[in-house]
Amino acid sequence: MPTLKIDGVEVTVPAQTTIIEAAERVGIEIPRYCYHPGLSVVGQCRMCQVEVERMPKLAIACNTPVADGMVVSTRSPKVEKARRGVLEFYLLNHPLDCPICDKGGECPLQDYTLTYGPGESRSVEEKVQRVKHKMLGPHIVFDAERCILCTRCVRFCHEIPKTGELGVFSRSDQSEINLFPGKVLDNAYSGNVIDLCPVGALTSRQYRFRSRPWDLVRHTESVCPLCSNGCNIVLDVRHRQRGEELLRIRPRENQAVNRWWMCDEGRFTFTSLDDPARLRVPTWREDGPRVEMAYDDLLLRVARAIRRVVEGHGPEAVGCIASSRQTNEELFLVRRFFREILGTPHLDFRVRPVQFQASDASEDGILRRTDKTANTRGARDLDILPGAGGLDVAGMIAAASEGRLKALFVFEEDLVRAFPDRPLREALGRLDLLVASSMFSTETTALAHMVLPALGFAEKEGSFTNFQGRIQKIHRALTPHVASQSLPEALRELAVDLGRDLGGIEPEQVWAAIGERPGAYQGIAWKDIGHLGLLPEES
Amino acid sequence: MISVETKKRLDELVKRYPEKRSALIPILHDVQAEVGYLSPEAIAWVAAYLTLSPADVMSVASFYDMLHLEPVGKHMIYVCQNLTCSLLGAERLIRHLENRLGIRMGETTPDGLISLKRMECLASCGTAPAIQIDGVFYERVTPHKLDELLEKLRNGRLQGSRA
Amino acid sequence: MAFEKILTRYKDIPNYTGTIDEYIAHGGYQALPKALREFQPADLIETVKRSGLRGRGGAGFPCGVKWGFIPKDSPKAKYLVCNCDESEPGTFKDRMLIEEEPHQLIEGIIISSYAIGCRLAFIYCRGEFVYGAQVLERALREAYGRGFLGRNILGSGFDLDVYVHRGAGAYICGEETGLLESLEGKRGQPRMKPPFPAISGLYRSPTVVNNVETLSNIPHIVLRGADWYTSIGPPKSTGPRLFSVSGHVERPGNYELPMSVTLRELIFDHAGGVTNGRRLKAVIPGGSSAPVLTEQHLDVNMDFESLAAAGSMGGSGGVIVMDDTVCMVRVGEIVSRFYHHESCGQCTQCREGTAWLHKVLRRIEHGQGRKEDLDVLLDMCDNMKGKTICVLSDAAAMPIESYLKHFREEFEAHIRGRACPFEGKGAF
Repeated sequence: MPTLKIDGVEVTVPAQTTIIEAAERVGIEIPRYCYHPGLSVVGQCRMCQVEVERMPKLAIACNTPVADGMVVSTRSPKVEKARRGVLEFYLLNHPLDCPICDKGGECPLQDYTLTYGPGESRSVEEKVQRVKHKMLGPHIVFDAERCILCTRCVRFCHEIPKTGELGVFSRSDQSEINLFPGKVLDNAYSGNVIDLCPVGALTSRQYRFRSRPWDLVRHTESVCPLCSNGCNIVLDVRHRQRGEELLRIRPRENQAVNRWWMCDEGRFTFTSLDDPARLRVPTWREDGPRVEMAYDDLLLRVARAIRRVVEGHGPEAVGCIASSRQTNEELFLVRRFFREILGTPHLDFRVRPVQFQASDASEDGILRRTDKTANTRGARDLDILPGAGGLDVAGMIAAASEGRLKALFVFEEDLVRAFPDRPLREALGRLDLLVASSMFSTETTALAHMVLPALGFAEKEGSFTNFQGRIQKIHRALTPHVASQSLPEALRELAVDLGRDLGGIEPEQVWAAIGERPGAYQGIAWKDIGHLGLLPEES
Repeated sequence: MISVETKKRLDELVKRYPEKRSALIPILHDVQAEVGYLSPEAIAWVAAYLTLSPADVMSVASFYDMLHLEPVGKHMIYVCQNLTCSLLGAERLIRHLENRLGIRMGETTPDGLISLKRMECLASCGTAPAIQIDGVFYERVTPHKLDELLEKLRNGRLQGSRA
Repeated sequence: MAFEKILTRYKDIPNYTGTIDEYIAHGGYQALPKALREFQPADLIETVKRSGLRGRGGAGFPCGVKWGFIPKDSPKAKYLVCNCDESEPGTFKDRMLIEEEPHQLIEGIIISSYAIGCRLAFIYCRGEFVYGAQVLERALREAYGRGFLGRNILGSGFDLDVYVHRGAGAYICGEETGLLESLEGKRGQPRMKPPFPAISGLYRSPTVVNNVETLSNIPHIVLRGADWYTSIGPPKSTGPRLFSVSGHVERPGNYELPMSVTLRELIFDHAGGVTNGRRLKAVIPGGSSAPVLTEQHLDVNMDFESLAAAGSMGGSGGVIVMDDTVCMVRVGEIVSRFYHHESCGQCTQCREGTAWLHKVLRRIEHGQGRKEDLDVLLDMCDNMKGKTICVLSDAAAMPIESYLKHFREEFEAHIRGRACPFEGKGAF
């Protein structure tokens, strides 16, 4: 493996590694615009020029493979002059939009200019004028004046979703990136161009004018909950007087899961967290209208009802339908409560046809998958399944309609909607106790005795296991607005009301318990799950 | 939207190349000749024919001076504005044309007959100043000669095709 | 002194129209059978190397050396592409060759293809050469008809197909990798090198790109030998060269001469001298990309090395003569306008720099120059050179640097006087 020196730092890398990649390994960031590790190399921006001993001309680091004994300087006077020159050329036509440009504060053009560029302009020529704030599609705003023609967006659309909506039209300084007339930028991954664009030429419609990056107080690592791929993400939260606000979601690089990308649905769909229609307060309904009730009272009533059912009909009269939307920690505690503490064998999560197969499938050959929940694999790995003699979901519904099941807990699934062709309302109506948790009112919660407001993924600390079997952490980015507590807290209190002990409910404690048991997660501790997740067979 | 004969010709043309995308620019010439200019529909047709995205084809077409993405006149007059031709009177020819036709370079006469376009070196420097009308060279051009050519053009007596 | 015409020998034949029969009648298609029967491909490459033939498109790279880069043992198909995209301002020799003596080129293509193991060759002909492309198509049909193209050429077992491929108007497609991109049906944007076309060219396969005039020399080298070829002209710039002379000369046209000829001889003896008896002010010796020369340089020999030593270059051999009515700032404006228009737009320095150069020069020409402009121009030019994917950026910068070097006072006069001193009375 060749060894070379970059700015005096020695680095050994595999052959064919480019100088720009080798530099990154030793923490040297060579400035770049057109280069991106996930896209083809075009060598156009000329920002990554470096000086290589014995090469008469400067070389571009993105396309020059390392050689043994190579000596590279990224800050020599020749390089600095060339770089300053390139930046000057960029700024000739760049509009002075910083005050109104979303990219300001996280802009590589600003950053490199401040570090490497000229302080003042030498040009007195008129700048080229082009179209501004043009809606390219449902998610993207385009400003052609700001565009520096790095072509990352064009290459992205050709190479990743392979939809090729964007092209560079004309040539010379008349070059302009645009859509074919009448077309829209609406592939399922269009939002990635926002991350890719080094300037404010491609920005998010959703995020437009909403914040400055320095107002984003928290950048919480998490995982997208909208399908089984589990794309790694960052939640950008802005402080707001009456509670924080999640303003945008960006992908996090994880080569094994989502590379650098995420789909638009995951990126832009989080406004439900803030939706005023969200359930905030737990409610109780018994022979009358639904009423809000103090949390402790409500749980006491539920405990009483459970006791009545168990004493009258045995634990087998209680069932639980959990959800692959829940975290591993929630699922583990659910299982402990129902299978171990209450002793019922009736526990299942499989509500969707895809969950009966060994695995779901890729939806588009890129990132999206057919299972639109985050944790089917986790539910399977944690054995959220019927015990000996236990009923599955369909069985529980039938048992309820026949009066054999008296109490049913449904967590984060709208059964009525999931089984439109079954007599769900009748079945659920026969139950002595129906407890449902949900973020929003559903047909199922309308029938429930107790409705527990559920937390959104950004409000929980926990983990999902993606389709690959990779355990990935989600972290709390927002304080929940709901008046009730988390499901683990509810179950713990419920256990206490039943005279039992659920055990520790913090993720570390839950994983201590998980790790003790035989199975896919044996031996794993919460601290073992790193930023990029953990594949149990690799640990 | 393309005639059967043309499509047959294109099918033969594509066969010449190990990779069919190579036929793109010759195809664009042919389609432009048939449709008059490369309208979005024409571009979309070519894109479908070669299984490329329309943006891709438009990106290629817009790179080249001889491919017109806006409607142009029935006749195309290219005037070289490069060094030798300028030394020998190209700008005078340009002013003359603009006056005679009442349009500026880059425009088309209102009757749709003639379009004027400034071009760069046409490799006629030895016989400058040079122009092309519908792909045919006219060299050592003078304003007087321009008037003769325009007259012939209007009377349909000028050879040359837009291909 | 009369020089034995080689490439333009046909000009001495009255009523010559370049058909295959006429070409054969004056000795054509004798080199081809000789090449196929008496030479192995490797020998041909050696011969062309020894001949010292240098590319006639503008770069002057030794042709045989370029051929030698083709990997012999690669399983990939090899391609030969004839660069007929002649677009360098001041150059019009290739157009003449294809319109008037197409078979010389075709014979050269066939021999060259044999030498490098190519079975499919293209003539990339700039789109504006409508008539030239038609002549080539006709000539190719004739060559196929005589069995000089197609299968088993002259019973040698060598197969070759040649097609004309038309461009559509872009100077940058004369750059060999820009040409290849265009030939692949894309924007003519030059590629990063390495890899060079000999390794990864057309369709990522080994490819040689040669100029029309370069290939037209091949039959003569085969027929008369490398030693004969080296006897023409100076040792490092062998063989006949076609100089395209234009501008303020009595007899503009293409002149076939050895490169030992001086600029003075070329202009005054061959091309009849400056028109109207005026004084020669400036001359561009190798296409507009070449730095300008002045009266003091007239005795330079027109070979590659001598011109480089004089601060210019051999380039495409396009010689543009300017008399003392010419405003050099206006020349700068026109030349920079060309590069501005022709930049493909990939590299930042070229895309923005060619436009900026043009705007500044236009402003100075129109009397709105500032005294800071000249030093900014020079620094801009420096930032444009040697740092881009191809050398169009350099080609735009070097001429401007040379106009400032030799005619700085004229620029300063524009700025001081806030007007062009030639306004209303110069050549333009």
